[in-house]
Amino acid sequence: MLSRKVVPFLYIAPCLLLMGVFVYYPIIENFRFSFYEFSAFSPDKVFVGFENFLTLFQDEVFYIALKNNIWYAVISIIFQVFGGLVLAAILEDPVTRFVSSFFRTVFFLPVVISITVIALLFSFIYNPDIGLLNSLLTLLGLEEWTRAWLGESETAIFAVIAVSQWQSIGYIMMLFIIAIQAIPKELYEAAEIDGAGKIRKFIYVTVPQVKEMLFVATLITLTGAFTVFNEPYILTGGGPGNASEVLGTLLYNSAFFKDQMGYASAIATVILILTLLVSLVQMKLFKTGKDG
Amino acid sequence: MKRLAIAGILTVLLLSLITGCNSSAGTSSNSDTIELRFFHRWPTEPKKQYFEKAVKEFEELHPNIKIKTEAVLNDSYKEKIRVVLGSKNPPDVYFSWSGEFAYNFVRADQALDLTDYINSDTEWSGEIIESQFKPFTLDGKTYGIPWSTDGKAFFYNKKIFKDLNLEPPSTWSELIEVSEKIKDAGITPITFGSKAPWTISHYIGSLNELIVPEDVIAKDYDPNNPEGDFSHPGYVTALEKFMELEPFFNKGVNSVDHQYSRELFNGGKAAMGYFQLAEIGLIEPSLGEDLGVFNTPSIEGGEGNPNSITAAPEGIMISSKTKHPEEAMEFIKFLTSKEKGTEQLKEVSEYSAVKGTTTTENASKLQEEAIDLIVNAEKTYLWFDTAVDISIVDAYLNGTQQMLDGKKTPEEVMADVQAAAKKVKK
Repeated sequence: MLSRKVVPFLYIAPCLLLMGVFVYYPIIENFRFSFYEFSAFSPDKVFVGFENFLTLFQDEVFYIALKNNIWYAVISIIFQVFGGLVLAAILEDPVTRFVSSFFRTVFFLPVVISITVIALLFSFIYNPDIGLLNSLLTLLGLEEWTRAWLGESETAIFAVIAVSQWQSIGYIMMLFIIAIQAIPKELYEAAEIDGAGKIRKFIYVTVPQVKEMLFVATLITLTGAFTVFNEPYILTGGGPGNASEVLGTLLYNSAFFKDQMGYASAIATVILILTLLVSLVQMKLFKTGKDG
Repeated sequence: MKRLAIAGILTVLLLSLITGCNSSAGTSSNSDTIELRFFHRWPTEPKKQYFEKAVKEFEELHPNIKIKTEAVLNDSYKEKIRVVLGSKNPPDVYFSWSGEFAYNFVRADQALDLTDYINSDTEWSGEIIESQFKPFTLDGKTYGIPWSTDGKAFFYNKKIFKDLNLEPPSTWSELIEVSEKIKDAGITPITFGSKAPWTISHYIGSLNELIVPEDVIAKDYDPNNPEGDFSHPGYVTALEKFMELEPFFNKGVNSVDHQYSRELFNGGKAAMGYFQLAEIGLIEPSLGEDLGVFNTPSIEGGEGNPNSITAAPEGIMISSKTKHPEEAMEFIKFLTSKEKGTEQLKEVSEYSAVKGTTTTENASKLQEEAIDLIVNAEKTYLWFDTAVDISIVDAYLNGTQQMLDGKKTPEEVMADVQAAAKKVKK
């Protein structure tokens, strides 16, 4: 009878082992490191207790980064989750049947392009002298709107966020398309008989039916927004000054540029707690697992 | 039970596979060939190829040594080298900037003392320009061998200057005057890009040295001297002088990277730029005869030595954990030989730190002039971002980016710098 109890664990053992070594062990180590002060090549670590966290909470750059992450989250929810859902509903509507596969590809294409390529592409689009965006604005007679999008404190982070929206909306849209395709046709027919128009059908049939997917999509975008790194790092490097710093770039700069490994670990711990909180709140709100 | 047995066997197999990988990696050094790991910062052409060729030539001369090269570009190198040196298996031979950047490794006990090697083979070491050893020397011991040397100067487009009837400026007010005239003619006077903020540090470094007295700088830049608190008013003046140039830069400097600003100059769209002398090799092919160079203009009322230049060597160091210091040294000697130094300028346009390697045969006239700028300067100083502690550099560069964006005044930037200095030197 022993085998009944042991064998299932053996099956998941390799996965558990890999997860343990590459995910859980580093998380625990990171938590421990956040109480020390050390550099990458110095042999000794100095225990400093909560000092790293205290410094962090007094660091104004941390709040700039946190604010930028929240902007990232809010804008991503609006554009990616809501926008993606609307796009998916439009593309799944019988009216767009003949063009939908074409647009599906168009919107999904940015997802498969490497983020580095995209960031370089957009640094050309945003270029103050020869950039496409400024040229377009000039062409439209909006010359006073042209600016160094990535080079000014007010616009830098939003220019970066815009790139992420452009890239990721196709992915979220695809998730919703799959969810919408699984909705039984009868529901729509019944709604039609009851006299519901397109918008009512969207609100009362589509949205409740894709609730599970809505949860997944918000979870993906929210955790994505708090762990974002590539886009701001390549496009602005956190600059000008610290205007477009996010927690990810702050962590990276502290660890590998300033060589404050303990401080960086503290930032990582804060990011971990933040993302855990976000997903806990969501699980409560969406009451996931109980379909319907 | 049978299933359990199979699962057990599989686990054993899996484990042996993992350990198997480990042991096979360890045995490669058992044979007679010695493997050296070389870590440098040039994964781009033409330098990548230059080093590949050099490694191959060296391996032919020393069949028992095999060199494994790894390369990461510039800013990433600064980050990665710290991490790999801290690991249990650091590279044997690695590239380093001079000054504080190198001293960091020395203080963390990651650099091998090379003084004896230098003294025991004067035939080789005597050929290297002596002043270039200094920024690799700490407390009388030398830890790095200078591979290349480079300086900072203003480059100008002779054609634009001639068309507008201008002379290269020698003082700061002349520079402003000239810039105004160029701007009036509808041309960008000075090309600049501060997206990667190290470009800022080159301006700041030179201006500080021209304005602030030498002994004050020595005190302030020293990470262990708590008296150096960056409180001299000259530092604010330096930032103000820098901001005087701001109206003459191209648009949106904070979103422009250095390569792009160089292209503006290459394309004749800008009249001047603050470049490294090694970049002559990258600009001359486009501008040819029209390219001219002048030293950083002196500043009226500045307390530094005007006959000076920001010029520093970049060099090669050996890890203190290496098992083969002799062989590693042999490799460095090969890279810093006169023969290699001569090739170096021609192939990758880096000035070798070896005497007499810049000649009419391998260099253009301008490159010869450039190396004279370095050799004739009464005083040279290091790149600011490698001469000062990284936290202070960070405060400086972030602050200056915001200053360029109109968000901070020079006084506010210096307040941040002073706060950073206080933290570092406590």
